[in-house]
Amino acid sequence: MPGPHRYCVLTIVICLTSPYLSYAMSGHDMHHSEQKQEHAMVYNDAGMVMNHNDSDLPFDCKKISRDYAFTIHAGVAYARDFPGTVFGMDQREITVDPCSRITITFVNEDQVRHQWMLHGLPKYLYDQGMFTLEAMGEHTQSGTFIVPGDDKTYLVHCDLPQHMEKGMKGQLVVGRGSGDLWSIPGVSREFRQQNYLPGHAALIFLLAIMPGITASLIVFARCGKIKS
Amino acid sequence: MSRNTWIWGTAIFVLLISFPPQWYPEPVRLQLAAWFGADAYRALPESAQPSAVKSEIACPEDVLGWREAQEIAGVQIRRSLNCVADDPYAVAAFVRGTNNIPQSVLMRSGLTQDAIVKGRDLDNDGDPDEIHIRLEVVELNGASPDTDNLTTQYAIAPGIKPGLWVFVPKMTGMATKNFESLQARSLLRLPSPVIRIEQGDHVFITLENSHYMPHTIHFHGVDHPFQDADGEGNDGVPLTSEVPVMPGQARTYDLQPRQAGTMFYHCHVQSHVHVMMGLQGLFIVEENRPNNWLQTLNIGAGQVRYPSVSVKENYDREYDLHYQDIDRDLNNRIQKTNDPRLVTKSLHRDYNITTASSEYFTLNGKSFPYTFRESLVIVKPNETIKLRIVNGGSSGIALHTHGHKATVTHRDGVPVQPNTGIVRDVFWIAPAQRLDVKLETTNDGLHSYGEGVWLLHDHQGKGVTTNGIGPGGNISAIVYESYLKDNGWPRTFGVSWDPYFSAAYYRKEVPVWQSYAENLSSEVTFDGWLILRLLGLGVAAGTIAALLILQFQGRRS
Repeated sequence: MPGPHRYCVLTIVICLTSPYLSYAMSGHDMHHSEQKQEHAMVYNDAGMVMNHNDSDLPFDCKKISRDYAFTIHAGVAYARDFPGTVFGMDQREITVDPCSRITITFVNEDQVRHQWMLHGLPKYLYDQGMFTLEAMGEHTQSGTFIVPGDDKTYLVHCDLPQHMEKGMKGQLVVGRGSGDLWSIPGVSREFRQQNYLPGHAALIFLLAIMPGITASLIVFARCGKIKS
Repeated sequence: MSRNTWIWGTAIFVLLISFPPQWYPEPVRLQLAAWFGADAYRALPESAQPSAVKSEIACPEDVLGWREAQEIAGVQIRRSLNCVADDPYAVAAFVRGTNNIPQSVLMRSGLTQDAIVKGRDLDNDGDPDEIHIRLEVVELNGASPDTDNLTTQYAIAPGIKPGLWVFVPKMTGMATKNFESLQARSLLRLPSPVIRIEQGDHVFITLENSHYMPHTIHFHGVDHPFQDADGEGNDGVPLTSEVPVMPGQARTYDLQPRQAGTMFYHCHVQSHVHVMMGLQGLFIVEENRPNNWLQTLNIGAGQVRYPSVSVKENYDREYDLHYQDIDRDLNNRIQKTNDPRLVTKSLHRDYNITTASSEYFTLNGKSFPYTFRESLVIVKPNETIKLRIVNGGSSGIALHTHGHKATVTHRDGVPVQPNTGIVRDVFWIAPAQRLDVKLETTNDGLHSYGEGVWLLHDHQGKGVTTNGIGPGGNISAIVYESYLKDNGWPRTFGVSWDPYFSAAYYRKEVPVWQSYAENLSSEVTFDGWLILRLLGLGVAAGTIAALLILQFQGRRS
C-alpha cells in the first residue's frame, strides 16, 4: 500500500518566450535618406542591384574565406507549400562561412517585381547596411557581396509592401548565426500567432470541461477514501 | 437592545443618510423642500486643469525645395503654393515619360524605367500619343506576423492610419523612407494617382498585381472597348469580361478614348469592398491640342503642376479634388490578422456593407487638418480656376464653397448646356460622379465675396468630422494668395490649431475649446463627497444583505 500522501495535482507549465522584434519608429519624414539610397544603385534591363561588392573586405576579414553561388527562385509558386502565404522563395535559409563571398542569382518567375534584400551588413561598406537585388517580372538579377567575420543571422526579404508579411522572408546564416528570425516559412513560426479556431470553439471547450469534471470527481473521491 | 438590533439600526441609518439626494424620487424632494426650504449652497466640482497637448508641426519645412517653380529635364514645373508639394522629379518623369529623362532624374523620382513609357506621336502634333502606364497595388497600414506596428504606414490625420489599398506607379527600391522607418514613401499614398491622357492617345495600362488578392482595373466613363484586339477582356469586370489579375500576375488594358472628360477608374473585383479599400482614382481625358505634353499622373491629386494646353487656354489654375469616405470597420480588418485566407473571409464574407457606416472623410487622401497642408485651393482675385471633383465615397456629398458661387461646366465628363447656368454654392455629388467646376474669383458678390480664407467642405455634418470629432473630415479651403504665408500656411485669425494637430484630440481626450476658453465648459473634476456617499451606501447595503441571509438561514435551522 502506498503512503498516505498522494499528490492529486495537475500542473500546467506555460513557457512564454518573448524576444520581440523591435522596429524603430521614426515619425519624421526622411527625404534625405530617400535620396541617399540611390547612390549605390545600378540599374539594368532586369531591374536594379544595390551595393554590389566583390572585392572590398570587411575590417575583420584578412581574405575571402570561400566563394558561394546560390540561385534563388521567387514567386507565388513557391508559396504553395506554406499555407497562409502568397509570395515565396525556394530557398529561405542559406548558410555560409564568415568572410565568404556570396553571389546570388535571383530568378523572378512572377510578372511583378520582387526583391532579394539583405539587411544588417556593415554600413561603412554597404550604404544603409543593405544588399539588394531587384528583378522585374520574369527577369533574373544577380550580384555579389562579402560578409564580415562574425557569426550573425541576417534578414533577407522582399520589401514590396506585404511581400515579406505574406511569405517572402528568409535568412542568411553566417557561421553559427545569431539565432533564427521569426516567421520564416519552413524555419520559424510567426511571433504574433493567430488563433485558428472554428466558430463553435466555445462549445468544444464546454464539451471538454465535462470529462474533466467527471475525471476529477473520480480522482478526488479515491483520494478522499484513502484519507478516511 | 440586542447586538443584532444595533447592527440593523446602524446599517439602515447609514443607508439612508448616504443615499444621494439627487436620486430621491421627485415627490420626496418636493415634500422635503416644503418642510426645510432650499438646500444650502455647495460649490460644484472644480474645472479640471487643461491637459498638455503634444502637437505636430502644422507645416513642415520644405527641406528639399519641392514647392519651388523649377525646370527639370526640360519640364517647366509650376510653383506649388501649398505647404507640402509633390516631388517635382516625379512630375518631370510623368510629363516626359520615364523612358525620356536622364538617369539622374529617373533615380531621384524613384520610378522604374518602364513606369510611364511615352512612344510615337501618332497625329504628328508634337506630343507623344502612345502612352504605356504601369501600376502596382500597394497595401498601406497593413498587418505583420511579427509586430503590432503597421507596415508601410500612411496617416490620413494625426494618429489615424486605416488599412488601405492603392494603385501606385511602378517604383524601385524600398517601400518605406528607409529601413529604420515605417513611413511609406511619398508616392505611396491615398488616393490612387490621377491618370491624365489626351483624347485619341493609344493608352496601355498594365496592372502588375503586386498585392496578395486578385484585382482588375475598370475604366468608369472612359471610352474603351469591351475586349481588346486580341479578344482579351478589357473592361475589368470579373463577372462579364475577364478573370481577375491574380497575385504575381500582370495584364495590359488597351484603350484609345474618343471623348474628353473627367472620368474615373477602380478595381472591379468584389467592388463593394475593393473600391472602398482605396482602389480608385480620377481618370482625365484632356482635349487634343498640339504640343500637349501631359502630367500623366498626379500623385495624391491636388494641384496640377503641369496643366494641359487645353486647360491653360481657359483657366489660370487646375486642382484635382478626390473625395472619399472610409469605414474603419472594413479598412482595419486587414490589420487584425496576417493570414490572407482569414483576411479574405473577413473582408468579403464577414463584413456586411448593408449595415455599414463611415467614420473618416478624406479629400485627396487626407482629413483635416492635413488637408490644409496640401489640398488648399489657392487663388488670386479675377482668376478662373478649374476644379475636377470626384466623389469616390459610399454616399453622396454636398460640397459647399464658402464665399463663392461656382459654375458646373461638366457632369460625368460631359459638358452641361451653358444656358442651364448651374451656378451654386452647394454641389451635390453622387458616388462615383464627377463634376468639373469653374471657380471665378471675381469680387462681384456672386462669384466671390472678396479675398480671404474661405472653407470648402461637405456640408453634411458627418463629413466635417473624423469619427464624430470636429473639426475633421474633408474640410479644406479656398485661400487667396494675400492670405497665405510664405511657407504655404494660411493666415488665419481664429483659434489655435495646436489641438487639431494632436492624435489625442481625435482620440476624444481633449475638451473642444480648451485652447482658447479653458474656463468655459472645460473638463469637470469628480465630486469626491458623492463618491464617499456611494461607498457608504454600498457598505450599508452589503451589510443589510448579509443580515438578511443570516436571518433566513437562522430560520431554517
